[in-house]
Amino acid sequence: MNYNLNEIAATQQKKSTMGGLRKLLLLIKEENKNLLMALAAILTNAGLNLLGPFIIGYVIDHYVVKKDYNGVLLWAGILLAMYVLAAIAGYLQSRLMGGVGQRMLFKLRNSIFNKLQELPVDFFNQNKAGDLISRVNNDTDKINQFFSQSLMQFIATLVTMTGAGIFLLSINLELGLATLVPAVFIFLFTKFASPWIKKRNASSMQRTGALSAEIQESLHNFKVIIAFNRRDYFRNRFNEANTSNYASAIAAGIANNVFIPVYGFFAGTAQLIVLTFGIYLISTGRFSIGLLVSYLAYATNFYNPLRQLAALWTGFQVAMAGWDRISYMLNLSTNLPVIAGTGKEDSNDAIMEFRNVSFGYTEGKEILHHISFSLQRGKTYALVGPTGGGKTTTASLIARLYDPVKGEVLLDGRDIRSYEPAERSNKIGFILQEPFLFTGTVRENIFYSNEAYKNFSNEALEQTIQAAGLQTLLGIFEKGLDTEITSGAESISLGQKQLIAFMRAVLRNPDLLILDEATANIDTITEQILQDILNKLPATTTRVIIAHRLNTIQNADEIFFVNAGEIIRAGSFDHAVDMLLHGERES
Amino acid sequence: MTKKTKPTNNNIKKGPGVFSLLKPYRGMVLLLLLFALLSNGINLALPKIVGNGIDAWPKNYVLVQVLTEFLSAAVIIFIFTYLQGILQVRTSEKVARDLRTQLAYKISVQSHAWVEVSNPSKLLTNLTADVDSIKMFVSQAIVSIASSVIIIIGACIMLFSINWKLALVIVAIIPIIGGAFFFVLKKVRVIFLQSRQVIDRLNKVINESILGAAIIRVINSQQPEYEKFLEANTKAKSLGLSILRLFAGLIPVIIFTSNMAGLSILVIGGKFVINGSMSLGDFAAFSSYLSLLIFPILVIGFMSNIIAQASASYQRIKAVLDVPDIPDEGTHAETLKGNIELKDVSVTHGQKPVLQHISLSVPGGSTLAVIGPTAAGKTQLLYLLTGLVKPTTGSILFDDIDLNAYNKENFYSQVGFVFQDSIMFNMTIRENIAFSNSVTDESLARAIATAELKDFIDSLPGKLDSVVSERGTSLSGGQKQRMMLARALAINPKILLLDDFTARVDTNTEMKILKNLRENYPGITLISVTQKIATAGNFDKIIVLMEGEIVATGVHNELMKQSPEYIQIFNSQQSTSNYELQPE
Repeated sequence: MNYNLNEIAATQQKKSTMGGLRKLLLLIKEENKNLLMALAAILTNAGLNLLGPFIIGYVIDHYVVKKDYNGVLLWAGILLAMYVLAAIAGYLQSRLMGGVGQRMLFKLRNSIFNKLQELPVDFFNQNKAGDLISRVNNDTDKINQFFSQSLMQFIATLVTMTGAGIFLLSINLELGLATLVPAVFIFLFTKFASPWIKKRNASSMQRTGALSAEIQESLHNFKVIIAFNRRDYFRNRFNEANTSNYASAIAAGIANNVFIPVYGFFAGTAQLIVLTFGIYLISTGRFSIGLLVSYLAYATNFYNPLRQLAALWTGFQVAMAGWDRISYMLNLSTNLPVIAGTGKEDSNDAIMEFRNVSFGYTEGKEILHHISFSLQRGKTYALVGPTGGGKTTTASLIARLYDPVKGEVLLDGRDIRSYEPAERSNKIGFILQEPFLFTGTVRENIFYSNEAYKNFSNEALEQTIQAAGLQTLLGIFEKGLDTEITSGAESISLGQKQLIAFMRAVLRNPDLLILDEATANIDTITEQILQDILNKLPATTTRVIIAHRLNTIQNADEIFFVNAGEIIRAGSFDHAVDMLLHGERES
Repeated sequence: MTKKTKPTNNNIKKGPGVFSLLKPYRGMVLLLLLFALLSNGINLALPKIVGNGIDAWPKNYVLVQVLTEFLSAAVIIFIFTYLQGILQVRTSEKVARDLRTQLAYKISVQSHAWVEVSNPSKLLTNLTADVDSIKMFVSQAIVSIASSVIIIIGACIMLFSINWKLALVIVAIIPIIGGAFFFVLKKVRVIFLQSRQVIDRLNKVINESILGAAIIRVINSQQPEYEKFLEANTKAKSLGLSILRLFAGLIPVIIFTSNMAGLSILVIGGKFVINGSMSLGDFAAFSSYLSLLIFPILVIGFMSNIIAQASASYQRIKAVLDVPDIPDEGTHAETLKGNIELKDVSVTHGQKPVLQHISLSVPGGSTLAVIGPTAAGKTQLLYLLTGLVKPTTGSILFDDIDLNAYNKENFYSQVGFVFQDSIMFNMTIRENIAFSNSVTDESLARAIATAELKDFIDSLPGKLDSVVSERGTSLSGGQKQRMMLARALAINPKILLLDDFTARVDTNTEMKILKNLRENYPGITLISVTQKIATAGNFDKIIVLMEGEIVATGVHNELMKQSPEYIQIFNSQQSTSNYELQPE
């Protein structure tokens, strides 16, 4: 299955902005009540604020010009009440809309995270970690910025503009139409310029992503850069990315700035139209001076939000671009669904059986060819063979990190695809070739997600560790169980990481435990301790060991020789060694 | 207003001053301010022109004049806003680019230890988010504040010139709005800091769930990870809502205040118009100036926040820029013979001793195996020899000359290091192997042949030009390890350091590689950290390292007589070692 997000983006047809927006709004479909109340607040607020200039104009015409000061005071009182109401409505509007925005962001983050958890390992192999992290963090933030800060403003602006437009047209249709003529130009200009602006911004965002990917790769591999004396490599690659980022950022920035002077100019033109045409109307007796004052205010009320809208529109385009990138991810689904349970298929006692399994990571490139074998309860198996022969791939299929392309994998006599993930992972333990630790203490890492010890006190945990014979292993950690670990840091050695991964897997008490070069960087004496621990596991536990070191596998009950995607039963240990030392390497 | 800008001023005095950053760009900034001044200054004239137009309405002949005045003002504003926009983008991007270049250069000359301590993720933030906030400061804050101040002053002058009594009432709103801003932003900043921490935590959970995707699926710990995430996300939501509550209160207060000012114009100005001390046109102009006045006050409030953020970012960036360069006083550029000597070298990390009193000599062209338990300090010993870690005490000599005296460029071109963890760059195989720039096609071919990679590379559709995926996920563990070896050999090193190279390579391949190495690189000095006695047995000398100390030195047979630790290791492998010692 193609999980490469950049390829998906390239093949996907261009989606309409509205279509994307509609899907995003699905996230707030239960917010109807809040949205309605917010809309009411927005309408009240905008309506009251719009009514203000009208009343002021009315007061000028009817009281100021006629020198009736009491009337002025009366209307001033009414205005005061209106402004108080408007302030309350304004507060409610921000609270309600902002709340909707925050909850939407909360849901968006949750659904992204859930999607990340749902997708298979394949997805993570096909995408760069840096790119995924940037999508989840930066692109969500783009949407966040728009929805937490701009959405409310966006809606309020639209409402104000519409209201102002209605006032303009209803006070005087002729003058209103004339005033709105520049808006038509603005609309056309915006429509014409938007795709260009979006394109320039998208390319700028992409270059920024490339720049941070560049920095990330270089900084995390800094020791290689020093040891191979390639500080210039870092500088050159960085300069290249920096320069191209600079050029595209300027292009985007100039594009983003184009709206402001244009909108300003048209807004000025509109004022000019109001002034000249209005004075003409007054001179012909069809308009009053008071109305002209309020009219000027309405024109400002119409064109100022429009200018804001220009800035908001850019933000909206950026948010939608981010949403596009995220929705490619949300549209994916796992290729490892749980199929309907078929019960126990046969009475065969094998814990694990491969029947004629073929597999390849990418279509057309088969790694495993028609493999069949079965693993019995309580026995120890070793997979040996040259590098790149398919050992890790076989192990990954046992743990159902992937499904076979052809054939089937049976766990306990039942198709492995019919197991719920929780049940499967309780049965199968897998110590991966590259140990991964989470930020936290050694204790948290050893008992990571281990339901059995969830509520144990520290003392109880120590006893568990003693009982499992693990206490000597903890000795090499400076502060034992309480040693702090930062994920990805070099504060502890690879061997130490492997020890933690080992303890983590053993304490989960699986029926089938796979060790994929799990002890490769651990010294042979410590490894013997690990061997003893493995031997102490219940008699029914099946062990599958992948290793290059012969002493690691010498106690295996059975040895499989994995080479060029095929598995041969090695018979005896001597035979296996013979194949290893003298067999032809085909991969 | 004075109240509001006070915290900003404090920040500037405290730190290196984000404004000092602008010195090299003085010309551009001044031009920018000039444009802003012109476009805003003329903007101020617009209401006055409109007011004149209204006052003059019965006399039609002025209309043409009003029209030309207004139109030319609009065109000039258009031109200058446009120029200002372009200049603004250019200046801010230039500042950002130059800052990044300076930072990158600074980082590139630092030591490995410094980068580890500084934390690559933090440096990434310095280069991206921190630079961005300074960019924001340059592109928005400078011009906005300058033009806001101009508009406020200009509008005030106009107001006072029209009617000083009414103007006094209007100007009274400025401190009210300023005070509201000061109060809210002070509270918001505290919450911002908290929410930044929560977002950091959120990102960490996301990052670990991406990088640890495989183990999470093996253990089926999606639910606990989700709970971790949900906790942080819920906190982020509630902090977001707290910020929202503050802003939701702020904006209506400001709008209400300015509405009050408008009302005062009506009530007081209306009275003036009624008793004839003010014209209707002036009255209209007053309302226009009021709406001009509100926006810049808001802008200054928001910008003070941007300045505060930029100051904090600039302090973090400055801290990196002010790190002293590592002086590379090394001038020695002789070809290495490969003699290595360590004299009483100790390394401590904080309180923790990593290596203690290591004395050791390795003659040129000989081989040394380092064997010992997990976390004994074996990798640190190799890091010492390449200068990735500096000795706390003692000295390291190559051909009797201190490591520090060597010209680094020359030194690194003669020492090959195969790291324990596979480090692949997202580039072609050719670039990954020929990573140093002195690699010729011939030495590349020899390195590939020696690392037994030729068949594998030939089997790829793109051969040497196939691109390696990030983290090398498309390659098996052993293939990555052999690529690392080829990378180290491609520079034709005089000294080769292998860190647990044999761990992920099968015995058969390992033997072939060691044989190739002897044939293709005669006279190379080889230091190899290994777990396998069988491999170590073929080396000229073996040292046993335990808890940071050398507990035994010698060849296999000597150690079998003298060193109980070595015998213990031997015994742990004994049953199989006879197979591995078999000559091919």
